Amino acid sequence: MSNAVTFENVGVKLGDTLVLKDVNAHIPQGASTAIIGPNGAGKTSLALALLGQEPYTGTISFMAGRSRRSIRFGFVPQKLQFDRDMPMTVLDFLLAGIQKMPVFFGASKKEKSRVMEMLREVECEKLADRSFGALSGGEIQRVLLAAALLQKPEILILDEPTAGVDFKGGQLCCELLHRIREKYHFTQIMISHDLATVAAHASHVICVKGTVIAEGAPKEILTHDVLSKTFGLHLGIPDPQTLAEDVILCDESCPHHAEHTAHGAGCKCHQHHHNGGPHA
Amino acid sequence: MTTNLINTFAEFTAYLFPFECMDAMFMQHAMLALLLIAPLTAISGIQVVNARMSFFSDAIGHSAFAGVALGLLGGISLNLSMPLTAVLVGLLIMFLHRSSRLSSDTVIGVIFSAVAAAGLAIISRDRAAAGNIQMFLFGDILTITPEQIGGMGLLLILFLLFQIFAFNKLLLIGVNPMLASVHRVKVRLYQYLFALLLALVVISSVRAAGVILVTALLVVPAAAARNIASTARSQFFLTLGIGFFSCISGLLLSAQEAVNIPAGSAIVLIAVLIFFLSLGFNILLPKRKSDSAL
Repeated sequence: MSNAVTFENVGVKLGDTLVLKDVNAHIPQGASTAIIGPNGAGKTSLALALLGQEPYTGTISFMAGRSRRSIRFGFVPQKLQFDRDMPMTVLDFLLAGIQKMPVFFGASKKEKSRVMEMLREVECEKLADRSFGALSGGEIQRVLLAAALLQKPEILILDEPTAGVDFKGGQLCCELLHRIREKYHFTQIMISHDLATVAAHASHVICVKGTVIAEGAPKEILTHDVLSKTFGLHLGIPDPQTLAEDVILCDESCPHHAEHTAHGAGCKCHQHHHNGGPHA
Repeated sequence: MTTNLINTFAEFTAYLFPFECMDAMFMQHAMLALLLIAPLTAISGIQVVNARMSFFSDAIGHSAFAGVALGLLGGISLNLSMPLTAVLVGLLIMFLHRSSRLSSDTVIGVIFSAVAAAGLAIISRDRAAAGNIQMFLFGDILTITPEQIGGMGLLLILFLLFQIFAFNKLLLIGVNPMLASVHRVKVRLYQYLFALLLALVVISSVRAAGVILVTALLVVPAAAARNIASTARSQFFLTLGIGFFSCISGLLLSAQEAVNIPAGSAIVLIAVLIFFLSLGFNILLPKRKSDSAL
């Protein structure tokens, strides 16, 4: 499979802080790649460098030796900073991205039907006449996804798409993206720290923590060793053997046992406050 | 020939607004100028408010002093030196803002002070010009010349053409410049072009409202429309409507013997009154709740 993007010795500095150094990685064309890593690992900086929005050192090259300017990108930021009081409907916002005629003259039939079709794709056609600034975080992300798709992207970058609360779980979001990718054939890059969805939906994973820790197919990458290096143990996939040694579950002698167990087995208070510590 | 054409248009305004005060030629010229200034300021006001550039327009207004100074020093017409200085100042602010990590407020604050101080220093040494400074501070639409009106007409044509091509792009840049840039909007080009045209709009409007009030001409109609409008289209036409209404009624009101105040203040006061009415409307009937397309 050819590569859509190749990073060679890429470094990114934010002010005086070196956020990324010696990044060497590739993103296979037409596939779904996940960039994973803890907060502050430089995932978003890497995406912004790729998009040409952040200055960087080293080389970022694109498929078939094409220039960045010749590539159609779609980008869905994690949190869009904008003036929520701006009088503008979802339809206005999406039309402005594709229509030549100024939106104050209204919508051309052709462009409006394109926008409505795309809103249906992201399952929010009901939002068309709603005020853009009044949407919830998750709804905004879906509209931004529609805006990105309307660009007919060759490379679609999503920054933490599963973080939006309105998506009913990361699973649904990834299924939606998978379906859309099958239809529109773009290269997908997803920044995420949600390992479960990554494991299920990405075909290529790049682990980032200041540099590339590892990259490859999820099966090869999502191992205890790599995840420990990337996230530190507490965020990695728990290894049952380590758990057995380090964690003692509370028992009936603990005055808060009933409260702790009510939270279920996955709850940390059940594990750590076995001596009757305060209920978190 | 151009002057005759402008005079004909000016006379036509007397038919449009058949008030006694409109019999005077200077009132007809003032009305024609305001009919050109209203759409210029109202439409650019939408983008000024969206992009939070009111301080930018204030700085351009104050560059009028430097423009006058440049005219005095170079012995060139103020009709040329003022727009030239405004454009240079506008582009300089945009350049510094884009190429340094300083916030736009800081950049504008520094340039603002520099042009105003340098301008005032030079003007104060020229008695005749110093005497005219009041005209720039408070505006004097009644002394506008056909030549200046012609310039505004040209600017309006250029500005409307630009808006037809750029309105959608500026809307996207107003939402988020980075996202717009990723989605292939030439953000830098549009920002520079807008800064250039905005500089020309502001400096042309200084004559109507004066350095002190010129930003109000841009910001208040757009801000008032924001209170009621829920779509980009309704904001556009409401802003335009409020702009025209305040300019026309302001001039007519200022000319009434019982009122007798400068046209610039009357225009801005009416726009501000509309702003407060729209704010009341917004508080009583919040648009977010209904979310209806106006």
